[in-house]
Amino acid sequence: AAYAFGSMLSAGVDPNNVTLVALLSACADFPSNPSALPLGCAIHAQSLKRRRPDAAPEEVVVFSTALVDMYAKCGRAGIAGEVFDRMPVKNRVSFNTMIAGYMRAGDVDHALSWFNRMPTKDKVSWTVVIDGCVKNGLLEEALDCFRAMQLNRVDADYVTILAVIAACTSLGALNHGLWVHRYVKNQGLSSNVRLANSLIDMYSRCGRVDFAHQLFERMCKRTLVSWNSIVVGFAVNGWCHEAIEHFKMMRSEGFEPDAVSFTGVLTACSHAGFVHEGLKFYDLMRKHHKLPPRVEHYGCLVDLLSRAGRLEEAMSTIESMPFRPNEVVLSSLLAACRVHGDIQLAERVTAYLLQLEPECDSNYVLLSNIYAADGRWDGVGEIRSKMKAIGVTKTPGCSSIEIGCEIHEFVAGDGSHPQSDDIYEMLDLLRYELKLWGHDPKIIVGATDE
Amino acid sequence: SFATPEEAAAERRRRKRRLRIEPPLSSLRQQQKPPSSSAPPRSPRTAPNPNAPKIPEPISALAGSRLNLHNRILTLIRENDLDEAALLVRHSIYSNCRPTVFTANAVLHALLRQSRYADLLSLHRFITQANVAPTVITVNLLLQTYCDCRKTDIALEHFRLLLKDDAPFPPSPTTYRILAKGLVDNGKLDQALELKDDMLAKAFVPPDSIVYNHLMQGFVKKGDPDKVVSLYEELLEKLGSGKILDGIVYGNLMKGYFGKGMEKGAMEIYRDVLGEGSKVRFGARSYNLVLDALGRNGKLEEAIDLFDRMLKEHDPPRRITVNLGTFNVMVDAYCLAGRFPDAITVFRKMGEQKCIPDTLSYNSLIEHLGNNKLVPEAEELYKEMGERGINPDEYTYVLLVESCFGVDRVDDATGYFQKMVELGLRPNATAYNKVIGGLVNVVRLDEAKKFFDQMLEKEVKPNVTSYELLLKGFINSGRLDDGLKTLKDLLLDDGVTLSQEIKELVEEALRKEGREEEMGILYEDVEREKAERLAREAEEKARAEALAKEEEERKKREAAEKEAAAARASAA
Amino acid sequence: PPPVAPPPPGPVDLVALAREGKLKEVVDLLNQGVRPDPPTFFELVASCSDPKHLDELKKIYEFFFRSPFRADLQINNKLLEMFSKCGSMADARRVFDRMPDRTMDSWHLMIDGYAANNLGDDGLQMFEQMRKVGVCPNARTFLSVLAACASAEAVEEGFIHFDAMYKDYGITPQIEHYIGMIEVLGKSGHLNEAVEFIEKLPFEPPVAVWEAFMNLARAQGDIDLEDRAGELMVFMDPSKSIASKIPTPPAKRRSGLNMLDGRNKLGEYRVPPKIEKKVVKEQVYVPDTRYVLHDIDQEAKEQALLYHSERLAIAYGLISTPARTPLRIIKNLRICGDCHNAIKIMSRIVGRELIVRDNKRFHHFKDGKCSCGDYW
Repeated sequence: AAYAFGSMLSAGVDPNNVTLVALLSACADFPSNPSALPLGCAIHAQSLKRRRPDAAPEEVVVFSTALVDMYAKCGRAGIAGEVFDRMPVKNRVSFNTMIAGYMRAGDVDHALSWFNRMPTKDKVSWTVVIDGCVKNGLLEEALDCFRAMQLNRVDADYVTILAVIAACTSLGALNHGLWVHRYVKNQGLSSNVRLANSLIDMYSRCGRVDFAHQLFERMCKRTLVSWNSIVVGFAVNGWCHEAIEHFKMMRSEGFEPDAVSFTGVLTACSHAGFVHEGLKFYDLMRKHHKLPPRVEHYGCLVDLLSRAGRLEEAMSTIESMPFRPNEVVLSSLLAACRVHGDIQLAERVTAYLLQLEPECDSNYVLLSNIYAADGRWDGVGEIRSKMKAIGVTKTPGCSSIEIGCEIHEFVAGDGSHPQSDDIYEMLDLLRYELKLWGHDPKIIVGATDE
Repeated sequence: SFATPEEAAAERRRRKRRLRIEPPLSSLRQQQKPPSSSAPPRSPRTAPNPNAPKIPEPISALAGSRLNLHNRILTLIRENDLDEAALLVRHSIYSNCRPTVFTANAVLHALLRQSRYADLLSLHRFITQANVAPTVITVNLLLQTYCDCRKTDIALEHFRLLLKDDAPFPPSPTTYRILAKGLVDNGKLDQALELKDDMLAKAFVPPDSIVYNHLMQGFVKKGDPDKVVSLYEELLEKLGSGKILDGIVYGNLMKGYFGKGMEKGAMEIYRDVLGEGSKVRFGARSYNLVLDALGRNGKLEEAIDLFDRMLKEHDPPRRITVNLGTFNVMVDAYCLAGRFPDAITVFRKMGEQKCIPDTLSYNSLIEHLGNNKLVPEAEELYKEMGERGINPDEYTYVLLVESCFGVDRVDDATGYFQKMVELGLRPNATAYNKVIGGLVNVVRLDEAKKFFDQMLEKEVKPNVTSYELLLKGFINSGRLDDGLKTLKDLLLDDGVTLSQEIKELVEEALRKEGREEEMGILYEDVEREKAERLAREAEEKARAEALAKEEEERKKREAAEKEAAAARASAA
Repeated sequence: PPPVAPPPPGPVDLVALAREGKLKEVVDLLNQGVRPDPPTFFELVASCSDPKHLDELKKIYEFFFRSPFRADLQINNKLLEMFSKCGSMADARRVFDRMPDRTMDSWHLMIDGYAANNLGDDGLQMFEQMRKVGVCPNARTFLSVLAACASAEAVEEGFIHFDAMYKDYGITPQIEHYIGMIEVLGKSGHLNEAVEFIEKLPFEPPVAVWEAFMNLARAQGDIDLEDRAGELMVFMDPSKSIASKIPTPPAKRRSGLNMLDGRNKLGEYRVPPKIEKKVVKEQVYVPDTRYVLHDIDQEAKEQALLYHSERLAIAYGLISTPARTPLRIIKNLRICGDCHNAIKIMSRIVGRELIVRDNKRFHHFKDGKCSCGDYW
């Protein structure tokens, strides 16, 4: 396309608006192409040069919008914003494009401020904002937006709902999820396979794999993703037999398992400690399906071996990996070292880990705990000085719970909740009962007429 | 110092009200909360003192979902699923619908009526820890439990909390009655008298005839009829109404007069309070006490008349004048008069009034029959118990054993004893002595020795009588060597001491055989074995102590090392 | 043509709005200057019967107080009644204090209001004040006074007032008064004493007495007394029987019934039961302070463990949901070993399924066990 444009210019043909817009969207669609951005700039320059005062405003809008889109997708949100600001007339499409651009760049504030200034918002605008919020980790805001969208009586389409379900999944917001499921039914979208798949995922990530299974059973058409979702769902919830069962059912129904399916079934095996089965599935994947194992498969395998106490085998698996092990793989081995009290191996693993991600606090804590558990205080001191030197700090732990349709978040020692007093009173009672547990002195009863 | 009782009562109430408005400092939580989540970890919290006085919730709190929970729990109680009821109370503490104290009381009450004391105390501890403020009913149930378990001191401790100035409520008459009965039943008459005086002084409750009656009963049992009568007179004076209209006191008052040898006085009271136009109120309990007074003092005819009158007045559910106790008392009265067939007839009539005899009722009749050699009749009753699902206890079997020995049915006696052991009942040394003594009497010494050995096997400690019975048996039938063996065991047992009488008996026997010197040898043996045992024990103790000390030092050393290392680690 | 202003709403509209529960609109109209007449005021006040109408009732009262008929006794009494129904005795008291004249009803409404709002103490104070200003109590007054005694759990004073009724004022107590006294005893937890009170009644207790007592026994959790009262109630009025009533299981403890208590020689012949110590060693929870970084002292360590975010979330979940429903917690980091142990035991203590999703896997805690098989 770039070549064609060059020859067009050299031929003296005056490119019209339609051509330019087409070219710009071509650039926008391939932001990874190294010539995309320079070409886009060139077109922008051309257009400035040839600005025609008589151009119809609609054409200008369309063209500028395409420009904004191009800059945004090529990662130049700032320039896109400038172009957008200078646009004399803006339509809904240009707003949507700009908001999407800011969202892509992670600049949620700008995106929201433009969104709030939009005179009329359509389905696409809402979707762009909700999806943007989800992608930028503002999950509760996404749900709030969705609620506002409902209040504004704008119907959501499946793209919006996918984003909303993703938010529920990450938040573990089961009640919201149930509500969305009902919404899907009411909107007549039940037959949408992608929605059903993500609902299955949502249910299993909210700990209600039974609901996920129900939904799965009711699907009239299933894709590979559906099968994968339910297998993984069973696996992470510890329903290992069901996971393996469904993996087998999937194959017998003629689906070719992919990497994700194997991740699921291997997770199940590692969860349940089925070492033998796990190794068999691993072989099946490599030999029969010719799938090169990915890092997560190694993760499962290492986990599986570590849990079974076969630490050396786990270590040699790590060493035989064709690529560098990631944090997940190593920390499961490290955790196993802690359980089995193998300090030497733990040190080897940690050496790997610290090379890999020197900033990750949890590894330091883990190793420090392994040392401490064994009374190796010199080791603890060393780790702590290393941590101070690199400047690692502990990420605050944060837990959330959904009550009704509200998500409540807590950090350690939190006193900010309005019902803080009651919460701490409950903790006091629990502390007392926990201490009693295992040492519940039944009070002596004297001689009675029993 | 108040002008009127009303003012005094109002002042007591106001004190309680102040407690409601300004809870005492001790019950307030002393803690500071960090202003925001970024603050350092919370300072250690002092757990609230669960014993700090707290005003219980009003009964109007029993509404909405908490009322539903209450009803749910009551249903469980009626289904006799007390485990689930107690568990649901606990689980509801961990929920948005906390049980009220009334619901907790319902479960505690149900546990008490099933004699499940350990579970009751455990639940009580839990609700106290969970800050459910008790009501007077909660306290009464707790006191009753401790009294039933013969822990009157603990009961008194809890009771005293109610007398403190900041107590959320005063004791009720029931509180005093439970304690008075508990103290009397445990023979603590002085403490019971103190409690009564305290009741009069505090004026939370008016002088209570039931409390007085418990005391009177205690002194009847103790054999102090003067005190019985003087307690009655004291109550009469305190009430100041000329006559006590609660019939509960009259049975024991009559016993007091009978005890003083004033039969005429007793019968005058009887005719007065139960005569035509008397305003004194009688229910089953008060009647039974009078009936008992008559029966025990040779007034069987009057007792039979009264019994008939009670049966006539009995009109359930409106008026209840006859209960299980009535029949037990009548059975006693007939037996005391030697009219056993009548006793059995009355006993069998119980069912007509929907009274179910308990083990105690059976034991009582079996005792009378056994003492009078009516063993087949006693055995008939024992069989009946099995058929009616009423479990015989250790005392039932002891009675049967004694009865059989009394009529020379030795094999049956040992059979009953064996049966008791097989059933898993736990007879103590006194019970064993019954069978050992019986066998010694008929000179079946080897069998006696077998039961003695069984006692040791079952880890029941023999008492001095157990040894002496066996020892005498052996000596008297000339089995001197077995006797000496038993004597040695006795001397080696630190729990018992040899009486002079038995010592002389053995010495006499030895002298007869010309083996006087053996006594000295026996003593020497015993001394030596005791010394050896002591030495062995001391050695073991020293070894254990050394081990413990070593362990402790090792721990200290390790802790110190850890501390130092941890300090170094933190400093790093 | 200029728009015709709608006619100002008449009293009828106000009453209609109030009856529909639209009290906010009523207040708006009052703010706009609509002036109701006394019957309308009465109706408006009477519609505020729920605590959620308190704000509106207060506003209506202010308008009423500024109106020319603020001395209207009927409306004032209605205000007393409605404020106490709305749970605000402070407001009722303000109305009461500002009333130029009072009827007996006014006093009764106040004492009843205090009693109904768990402020029996204030009710009794009111009664004292009433006598001080020289108002002679009547039979109705004593019903209120007994209700106040019941609310304040003032047994002693209940008896004093009950006795004073006849002695000082010559009022013969009626059935309602006896029932009032039974309520005083029953609500204060003096159930046995209430039974004795009933047995001493100078007449055959009617059904209403037994019914009242049965309800008290039921609330106080004494099934034996509840059954006894229920039996008598049904005996007198068979229409009150409940067909599906579950029979009460027989009691094991029957002390005081058989007259043979003193003759129980069982203790003489039985080995005393062993000191039974049930030790559940299978699960002992000792805070595992290894999971906290080692630079704080022991107690602080335990504290730090105790207030880990997942525990806060669980505690909040517990107090916010019904018993025995599962809780779902999401945690951003991996759950620490100490919390894992603690939550395992907690799941048994609280009788719930606790589902924790950490950044690695799910933990389904139930009955003291975790689905992860203790590997986290």
